[in-house]
Amino acid sequence: MADLAEGLAAFLSKEWDRPVEITGLAASSAGARRANVAFDADDGRLVHPLVATIVPTAAIQLNPIGAEAAVRTLARDHGVPVPEVVGWSEDESWVGGPFFLSERVDGETVPRQVLRLVDQQGIGDLVAHQLGQAMGRLHSIDPAVAPPRLLDLGAGAPAERALAGLEAAMGTLLEPRPALSLGLKWLERHLPPAPPTSTIVHTDIRTGNLIVGADGLRAVLDWEGARRGGDPMEDVAWMTLRMWRFRNDDREIGGLAGRPPFLEGYGVGGGEWHEERCRWWKVYGTLKWGLGLAAQAAGHLDGSFRSIIMAASGRRVPEMEWDLLMLIKPGR
Amino acid sequence: MKYRPTDEELLDAIAELLENQVLGAIPPALQHQVRVAANLSRILQRQTALEPAASRAEAGRLAALLEMGGEDLPALRAELDRRIRAGDGALDEAAVWAALVATARDDLASAKPGYDAWEGE
Repeated sequence: MADLAEGLAAFLSKEWDRPVEITGLAASSAGARRANVAFDADDGRLVHPLVATIVPTAAIQLNPIGAEAAVRTLARDHGVPVPEVVGWSEDESWVGGPFFLSERVDGETVPRQVLRLVDQQGIGDLVAHQLGQAMGRLHSIDPAVAPPRLLDLGAGAPAERALAGLEAAMGTLLEPRPALSLGLKWLERHLPPAPPTSTIVHTDIRTGNLIVGADGLRAVLDWEGARRGGDPMEDVAWMTLRMWRFRNDDREIGGLAGRPPFLEGYGVGGGEWHEERCRWWKVYGTLKWGLGLAAQAAGHLDGSFRSIIMAASGRRVPEMEWDLLMLIKPGR
Repeated sequence: MKYRPTDEELLDAIAELLENQVLGAIPPALQHQVRVAANLSRILQRQTALEPAASRAEAGRLAALLEMGGEDLPALRAELDRRIRAGDGALDEAAVWAALVATARDDLASAKPGYDAWEGE
């Protein structure tokens, strides 16, 4: 941690062109992929509460860190609540990996604590509305102004491209899972029309990637998977999946609220809801997560990521099979 | 021929140890993993009791659906999977769905009791 403080101090001193002292360094959360470290930066005039998001190595990045910083700034400039990025570097010598620094926003992020706060304050509908509005604003950004290096999965209909990815992932299952195959078949038979315009999509907006305070939604986090050329309904549908409801099953929007306040906010933000496409992406997201859990179990078994948590993911596949089956009920 | 404790009783003992003694004595960074391990012991404990009957029921359902013999469950699953993927028009879609729902319910009875109470979207 001493090295980290020195690296951050050196970077910010150069960036701000005055001596900066780092205090109160504390790992706030260490995901498998990247570390978030909270700290205060004292520039002699002001103390700035910041967070450093550090990727252990550039090799595991989805987006280059500069593109992630740029898409966050772009979204923020369009009224999406995102903590302001105050600096970034892809030079691994500062802190041992690519990183960006952003303002530290207070509030709850852990899902159960978010949902408890929302209940205590009675702000579930408000947060869902704000979230819808934030997403509507994100999806209204002209794709032509997307950061040049932002992930672009290529031309073609987003749904067809996404389906091809799932078909490939199905091939890596260690045992046949007929329920997942039935889901895949449903997706093939119900391919939706392409969106009128493809947009920038975040790809992981859910309870757990939000900062919520007593006054409502404060920030949308974790932009590492953002990309261009997406169907905005992919983001919207991801937010409606049962796995982000944390037992509040009757509140479709991340356990926060039902659909109406979210949809209203989405429209106010400039988003265009499309039921058929949303439905398709909801089935897609459920199957994708089921295959993701299966891949975690496989990673444990083949030794690439030995972990009891990854092993346990294999026993969570039936949850996704259940959700999938409920979504594709015949004659519905 | 095993003596007591039974498999279930041993899995219960492992879960109890992890939940009641180990969890309070280890650094916070390890607690999530140990909770997950304790939960896996509970899953296996339930599965030990439930799986034999669940497997027989699944084999019976799939054999009826596929008009095959009902001995070899992995082969039945693989055949159903193959026919679903092939888009076999002879399969009764509603019957396939119902059979898979029943299997998912049985899997969840071990892995996550109560998860199937919500039948909405």
